[in-house]
Order: sequence, then C-alpha cells, then structure tokens
Amino acid sequence: MPEEQKEKTGHQKTGAGKRLSNIMLNDYMQLHQKAGNGAFVVWIAIVVPAELFSGFENVVYAVPESHAAMSAGKGVGPLQCEKAEGKGFSPDLCSYARIDLGTAFDGGKDSPTFGLPKPHLLVSDNNNCSLLVKWFDVYHREWGTPHFILDVPFCYESQKEQDLDYILLQFRDLIHTIETMSGQRFDPERFREAVQYSAEAMMHWKRFLKTAAHRPSGLTVFDSFVQMAPFLTSRGTKALTDHYRLLADETQECVAQGIFPVPNEKYRLLWDNIAPWHQLNKMSTRLAALNANIIAASYTYCMGSLEGEFDLYAYDGGDPLRYLARAQNFSVCPHGLELRYRSMQKAIESIGIDGVVFASNRSCKVYSIMQMDLLKRVTEKLDVPAVMIDVDHADARKYTEENAFLRIEALLELIDIKRNHSRAGFA
Amino acid sequence: MKDAETINERLELVDANHKIRSLKENSAKVIGCFPLYPPLELFHSLGLAPVVLWGFKDSVKAVDSANRHIQGYACSVARHLVEFVLSDRDQVMDGLFMYNACDTLRNLPEILHCGLGETGRSLRIFKMHIPMAPEQQTRTSGYFSSRMLALINEIEQAFDVAFSLDKFRHSVALYRESRSLCKELESQVARGAMSYARYSRIIREGCFTAVEQHIELMKDVLKEKTPLPDESVSESGPAVIVSGILPPPFTLIDALENAGLRIAGNDIAAQRRSYAFTPDVVDDPCLYYQDFYLHHFPCPTLLFSGDKRIATIKNLVTATGAKGFVFIGEKFCENEYFEIPYLEKVLKESGIATLSLEISIDDDENSEGFFTRIEAFAELLKN
Ligand code: SF4
Ligand code: SF4
Repeated sequence: MPEEQKEKTGHQKTGAGKRLSNIMLNDYMQLHQKAGNGAFVVWIAIVVPAELFSGFENVVYAVPESHAAMSAGKGVGPLQCEKAEGKGFSPDLCSYARIDLGTAFDGGKDSPTFGLPKPHLLVSDNNNCSLLVKWFDVYHREWGTPHFILDVPFCYESQKEQDLDYILLQFRDLIHTIETMSGQRFDPERFREAVQYSAEAMMHWKRFLKTAAHRPSGLTVFDSFVQMAPFLTSRGTKALTDHYRLLADETQECVAQGIFPVPNEKYRLLWDNIAPWHQLNKMSTRLAALNANIIAASYTYCMGSLEGEFDLYAYDGGDPLRYLARAQNFSVCPHGLELRYRSMQKAIESIGIDGVVFASNRSCKVYSIMQMDLLKRVTEKLDVPAVMIDVDHADARKYTEENAFLRIEALLELIDIKRNHSRAGFA
Repeated sequence: MKDAETINERLELVDANHKIRSLKENSAKVIGCFPLYPPLELFHSLGLAPVVLWGFKDSVKAVDSANRHIQGYACSVARHLVEFVLSDRDQVMDGLFMYNACDTLRNLPEILHCGLGETGRSLRIFKMHIPMAPEQQTRTSGYFSSRMLALINEIEQAFDVAFSLDKFRHSVALYRESRSLCKELESQVARGAMSYARYSRIIREGCFTAVEQHIELMKDVLKEKTPLPDESVSESGPAVIVSGILPPPFTLIDALENAGLRIAGNDIAAQRRSYAFTPDVVDDPCLYYQDFYLHHFPCPTLLFSGDKRIATIKNLVTATGAKGFVFIGEKFCENEYFEIPYLEKVLKESGIATLSLEISIDDDENSEGFFTRIEAFAELLKN
C-alpha cells in the first residue's frame, strides 16, 4: 500500500471538506449581512422546508439546531449549555436547545458564527419533536416574536392523504403569514426552481452515500455527518447542488482510484442517532485504528428518502409544495419503529452492514426511545449484532468515551464470533 | 349515602388493576387512555368504559418490564404506564387509545406492541392526532373532524358498536356533572374545608371507576355535613397553587399542608387542567371535541394553548389569593420544563414566591430534602 494511502485513515479533510468550510462561512456571513441590510429573518426548525423562503425576494433563514451542532463541533457546547442552565433551564433538556438558549441569551457570545441575527418570525415544526415548539416558544415569550407552529402528524405507517392535505394547508398559511409580515410577494417560479435544486442535490447526496456499498467503503459516516450542514443552510440553491455533485464525484473518484478512509476495513458498522458532534475526530480515529468503519447512519440516509425507505424520493416536476409536504416525515424522528426498522433493514442489506451501534441519546428522546426494541428486532430478525452506547449529541459532559468504546469493542468481538461460526459451518 | 369511613376505605384502595377489573365485571369493555385529555364522553357513549392511565406509582411497585423497553431517561409517567400495560397479564383492558402530546408518548404504541408481543399478547391501539396548530394560524376544524370521524369508525368496527346521538348526549350530561362536582371539591379545598390530599384521592378515583360511580362518590363526599376535619389543613395559612403534570406524592402533600400552607388551587394536568373547561352541549361530537381542545385549560402538552397559559395562571393566582406557586416537576418532562423559567420570572415580578421540586421515579421516597425546602418556603410566605 502506498505510504500516503496508509496515512489516510479516519476522518480526513478532503477537497469537499475544504469547500464545505467555505460554504458554511459564506452562508453565515450572508445571513448576517442580509439581515443587517433589512432582510426578513426567519428562524426555523431543521425540517421546515426552507425552499419556501427562496420564493421571496428578501427572506433569510437561520437554523438554530444546525448552529448548535456547529457549536458542539467547535467545542463550545458545554459552555453554552451552562449558560442556559444558569438561567434556569433544566440540564435534562435537549442539548441543542440549551446551546441555543445559552447563545441567544448571551448575545451570540462564544458562538463560532457570532450567533444568529434576531428573527422576525419563528417557525417550529413538531414532527421532529414537540420539544422544538416549546423551545421556540421561549423566544416567542421573551422577545414577543410571532411563532408559527407547523403541526405535522407522526407516521406509524406511510403518510396518509389527509395528513398530507393538512400539511399543505399549513404551508399555504405559512406563505401567507410571511407575505403579510414582510410585505413581499411569494413567487412560485423561484420556489419551484429552489425545489428542483434541492431535489437534484439529494440525488447527488444519495450517490455520495452509496459509495459506502463498496468494500472498503468510500466514506466514513463522519464525512457524511459534516457534509449534512449545507443541506440545512443552503437549501434550494445552486451552490448546494454543485457542492453535492462534486462531493459525490470526488468520492466516487477516490473509490475508483482505490483511496479509502479505512483501507483495512474489517468491520462495517451502522450508526443510529444524531452525530456525536463533539467526538467526530476522536471517534473516527479510534475506530479506524481498530479497522472499524461506521459507513452509514440513519441520521444521514433519511435525507432524500421517504419514511421507511432508503432510496431517493425523486421530484417528478409536479406541484413542488405537494412534493415537500409528502417528504415532511423523511427524517427519522417523525416516524415510528416499524418504518425505522424497514429503512434500516434496507440500509443493512444494500450496503452490507456487519453491526449496528445504537447511540442512546438522553438529549433526544424522540430518536432514542424505542431503540431498545429496534435493537432486539435487528439482532433477532436480521441476525446482525448490535450494541447500545450512551451519547449526548452536543453536550460532551454527558459522554464517557471509555464506556462507549468498551461496548463498541464488544460489538466487534460479536461480529468476529458470528463470522467464526459461519466459517465453521454453523447456521 | 355512604358514611365517611366507607368512603375513606375506598379511597385508600389504590390498586388500579383491581379497580379496572371491577369495571369489567359490569361487562364493560375497558379502553385505557393516555395522556390525560381523551374524548371520554365519546368512548362512554359507545358503551366502553374509559380509564385514564396515570397515577400508577402506588399500584406499580417496580418497573422491570418497562426497563426492558424504555430507557431510564423517560419520565416516570411513561415508565409506569408501560409497566402497567405490560404487567396486565390477564388483559383487563380491551384496547388502548392515545393522542399526540409529547415526544416520549408518541413512541409508546409501538413499544407496547413489542412488549405485549413478547408474551403472545396484543392489544388494539387507537391513535388520533389532535391538531396542535393554533386556530388563529390555521383552520384546523376540517382536519380535526376527519380524524374524529375516523376514530369513531375504527371503534365502531373494532367493538361492533354504533354511535348514537342519544347516548352521546347522555354521556355528555354525565361528564358535565362530573366536571362540575370536581370543581366544587376544589373550591372546598380552597376554602380549607377539605384537605388537598383527600381531594387528590377523590379525583384519582375518577380515572379507574365508572363515571356514574365517581359522580356518586363525589356527591356523597359533598353531602357530608361537616367535611372531615383534617388537622393538616390550615384555614388561615398562606395560600399556594400547586402545578405540574401529576399531583405531588402524598408524602409531599402532607409536608405542604403540615407546613401550614393551604393549597388554594392547582394547575395540575391530572386535576384542574383536565376538568376546568366544559364544552357547550352540541349534537356533533366533532364540534364538541373541537371546542373541548381549543378552549381547554392551557397545558404545555397542548402546544396551541401556550399563549393563554400565563394569563390563566395569573388569573388563578388572583382568584385564589395565592402567595406562592409550587411547581412539581416530573423529571425529564420537557414540555413542562421549557416553560418554567419564564413562568417563574413572571410570577416573581407579580410578587408571587415560587418553589420548584423535581420528582423522579426513584427519589420520591427520599423526601427529606424536599421537606426542608417546603418548610423554608412556608416560613418565607408567612413572614
Ligand atoms: S430533541 Fe432531538 S429532534 Fe428535538 S431538537 Fe433536540 S436533537 Fe432535535
Ligand atoms: S410527564 Fe411530560 S414527558 Fe412524561 S408523559 Fe407526560 S407530558 Fe410526556
């Protein structure tokens, strides 16, 4: 193996990684600049379809969850959490919320992006979690900022037609609210174009993720975690489409050239939960040293799919509002165990997973409560070894590396045992 | 009329399973409901006996079955509920109903399904999405009606029953009476004529008994010539409001009352929030329940009601002359905990002292620390 390749293990800053830093820097600079110049500012929950705002001339949006993830990644998660706790917010609340409240009530101090410009409108969405509505309500009360609550019914089975109609009704009300508040007209053509960009971006995203099917995998999940960011800050833009196209091309090219993040990959793992933002480098390096690679995550493969699916949900050029409404339950939290299992099974089978790491995350109950049964189902029905570790996605104070790795190493042993059994001819 | 002793005996009996079994003996099909504001009149009119699944701390001693399905950072309400359903070996309930309220509860139907399935059991679970979009933002009535009609249809098919307007009217009348009696009991507590502990027991009784029996019980209590003198009730002590999802455990209620505090009102989800609002009588269950939810006493679990909460609590404080507000936090209940800092701030600005106590599944027996804080709080209010 060439010397250079041997060193390329774990989470690496690739060309796409460098471009990503520029995109993020640019997105936050533009956000502050446009807000400073009088743009109408909306704060949104992560799953609010931001393409809607592209339908307006001068509306910008910020995603507090995404900002919180970035803060956690830059190491200021605990500091901001403590500020929120000092204001009386319980340490049991979601760490994204605590980071955001800590940042906002301290005027953006210690934030990697100098915080977020103050909003004219808050748009929460209870489909990821109803906690988000309560979190945005805090600002609604403290600042008097109007709060639009998108109410999206949870899916125990595929989305129902009447639920879709209800979501559509609210999308229209949201457009109307922004028109009234901002004095700007919604332009359906601009909106359609934004949806097309996002849909195309998702197609490339899926192409990127599928490089994991190669043995060894073309990516580590840590690459895909960080690459999610522009989907949240640049949705509906050509820049996003171009970036994901290049990301997928570049990763496919690496595979073709035999360059892999974990060249001696022995264990191919799946991660179930939000990224452990404060651990990306440490965890990927330590796993790579064990020749283990987390090659996929339910957190990343849900993007661009419908609930319970793994493949792309393509845009057919029809009503863009309807397309977005249909995709409202795409992220993992707004759908139930049966659907989660279904998409996990598809992921496991299509990219070849040896074991699953269920990250039980006390900060995110919606993602975590049900994992015990999901784990049982995966191990019993799919015969895939799995373990559960304790993680908090953004509050590093609630994570113990040694405990987590004890379990992960146990998982690797389970995989070995299973392999030895099948080699020895046991069914 | 029953004598006070009989009533007391009945109130002391807290085995929920036993009580639900008695319901079933009257040949009713039992439907377990969660969380706290289900369409009780509707179920009753369809010939079912609805029971509201909370308050299991006394009847569920350990949560071993729940621990195999749900992590320890779920609130104790959810863990007790899971335990209660999974340990119901003889299937005293014939079905479950749940609506969307919080992030923990929405995963429970499938968790319960898995848990029951492990021992070859299954239980029909009816689910309904209550619109959470505020009415001034989105007209939710059409969607709400479609979900309500779908629910009625599902129940009719599952239990081979038919909706009848006459029966619905009758059930509505019963629940109106029940709500009105609950309010009357509450006013007795506010006047210091009844202990809050006794009131709490009576209200809890309503969750596991037929509404007709509960009405009878409340009437019997209210007919007692001299309400039971309870030494722990201080007629002249400083008035406080208690707030939270569940009432404080009885040890804490005793501590509050023994410290000379008079619980003049409550903002407890399982108590006042559940019965405070009574919808107008209308001949359409869709309209009736639309009114019921839209004008419900504010609760952090009803996301659309957030804007009304502060004003409602301030009104309650003014109406009862309360000097203090005691928040009984259910550990891990995010819906409640996001609201507390602002609520406390507003109350303090109005000169109302606040005390916050957090109850979790394991530590409600270790109440020493709570007692000291309650005593200090009472002293503060008395000075
Ligand atoms: S609880 Fe989970 S879904 Fe909700 S904001 Fe926090 S991390 Fe996101
Ligand atoms: S106490 Fe709170 S977290 Fe628990 S079930 Fe009720 S609303 Fe949900």
